[in-house]
Amino acid sequence: MLEEVKEAAAEGLKLPKDAALGEMLLSFVGSRSVTVENYRGILFYDEETVTLKGRRGKAVIRGRGLHIDYYDQDEMRISGTIRSLELGG
Amino acid sequence: MWQKLKEYGGGFVKVRMTGYSPERFLNLCAARQIRLWSVEADKAGYTFYAELKDYRRVRPLVRKAGVHLKIQGKYGLPFFLHRSRKRKLWAAGAGAFVLLLFVLSRFIWNISVEGNLRFTDDTLLHYLDTLDVGYGCRKSQVDCASLEESIRGAFPEIIWVSARVSGTRLLIHLKENDGVASLPVKDESPRDLAAGEAGTITRMVVRQGKAQVEPGDVVEPGQVLISGSVPIISDDGEVVNVQYVHGDGDIYARTEKTYTSPVSKLVACRTRTGTVRHGLRLRVLFWEVFFPPPVSGDLSWEMVSETTQVCLLEAFYLPVWIERVTAREYSRSERPRTQEELEALAEGVQTRKSETFLKKGVPIIENDVRILDKGTSYEIQAHFVVEEQIGIGQKLEQKEEFLTADERNRDYH
Repeated sequence: MLEEVKEAAAEGLKLPKDAALGEMLLSFVGSRSVTVENYRGILFYDEETVTLKGRRGKAVIRGRGLHIDYYDQDEMRISGTIRSLELGG
Repeated sequence: MWQKLKEYGGGFVKVRMTGYSPERFLNLCAARQIRLWSVEADKAGYTFYAELKDYRRVRPLVRKAGVHLKIQGKYGLPFFLHRSRKRKLWAAGAGAFVLLLFVLSRFIWNISVEGNLRFTDDTLLHYLDTLDVGYGCRKSQVDCASLEESIRGAFPEIIWVSARVSGTRLLIHLKENDGVASLPVKDESPRDLAAGEAGTITRMVVRQGKAQVEPGDVVEPGQVLISGSVPIISDDGEVVNVQYVHGDGDIYARTEKTYTSPVSKLVACRTRTGTVRHGLRLRVLFWEVFFPPPVSGDLSWEMVSETTQVCLLEAFYLPVWIERVTAREYSRSERPRTQEELEALAEGVQTRKSETFLKKGVPIIENDVRILDKGTSYEIQAHFVVEEQIGIGQKLEQKEEFLTADERNRDYH
């Protein structure tokens, strides 16, 4: 219920969803790297898969030779050959 | 850049991680603001980099996450110093270098003068030498304010000076007076105006004195054109007095000028053989070592040298000069001068002389150039007919009987 109110308010006030609802924001540079903001934690990491937990679901990034250039509590950059992104609840 | 310097200064390690839950370890590090970077996974485990101060804080997290860490590489200043702790001579050398740089930085090793047109750098540097300011003098010895004052005092044509010491350089900026330094004193003493050269008077304007010639007259050098002795004639035609004035006027005459320039029949040629040798001269403070280029053989060599002063930074010049000497071998030969070259030379003489007249504002009425064969050499003769002012001042003979008492007294004292 609260989430729906928040979403309606963000929609009505035209606020960015990532800031208002804490959604993950993923910015890709081709298939070479992706910068993830607003994630909550790393669920799984190996050279072919990185699974990240977000506030309202998770993101699975698959590829080859994936490595984390840097990360902190809010932001991380993953480089390598990215093949797919899967978003789920 | 700053981040890299910080990492190097504080030291950082490359770590190999294996164990049960590496993701948990990574999350725990993020939660405690422990910065890890370049995290890479492979089949057997993970590697990452961490700053030394952060690595010391991960021990409790290791136990909590059930992972094992192993240092694979140590980088940065703390590790470098630790590794170098036994290299005493190296440390002494580094210390001596820093000390030497410190000592050298207390002196002036480069003087730069800008803005000077009339006075050469050498003139100004020699003057600075007389003030005990030169290469190798102590920086504390240079008082910029008094230096500026001294330069202004010694060179009245310099109207503005700024001196400042930057690093081991003394920078002097100055501005010279573009106008006339002092107004010329107008000469009003009695004189005649005589012909400076032979010619035919074309036009004349007399401002003071008595004209002795008129347009159309042919005059010889030294002939009086305007006399400064103006006779005062009584009613019965006798000269009762003579007034001596400063003879002045513009006398234009048509004059002829011939310029000759000898030219040899042969042209000396230098042909480079392509052989180049290099030498080096190294000057440190007042000592110098010269490694001359190994020149040999019967042919001649032309040498060009280029000196560079060593500087660490833009303003930190060192008393070290490197002079690169390049010697190029050449052979001398002579060949007859061609007609085209001769004509080009003759045209050059004519053009140069014409430009000189035009710059002075002297109109050229006629001009021609001839090439004369003088047997062993040629002679280029440029002939000009111009209209120019020919009057020059000439001292006036004053007769005793017509001098006033004041003039007599002036002459005696």
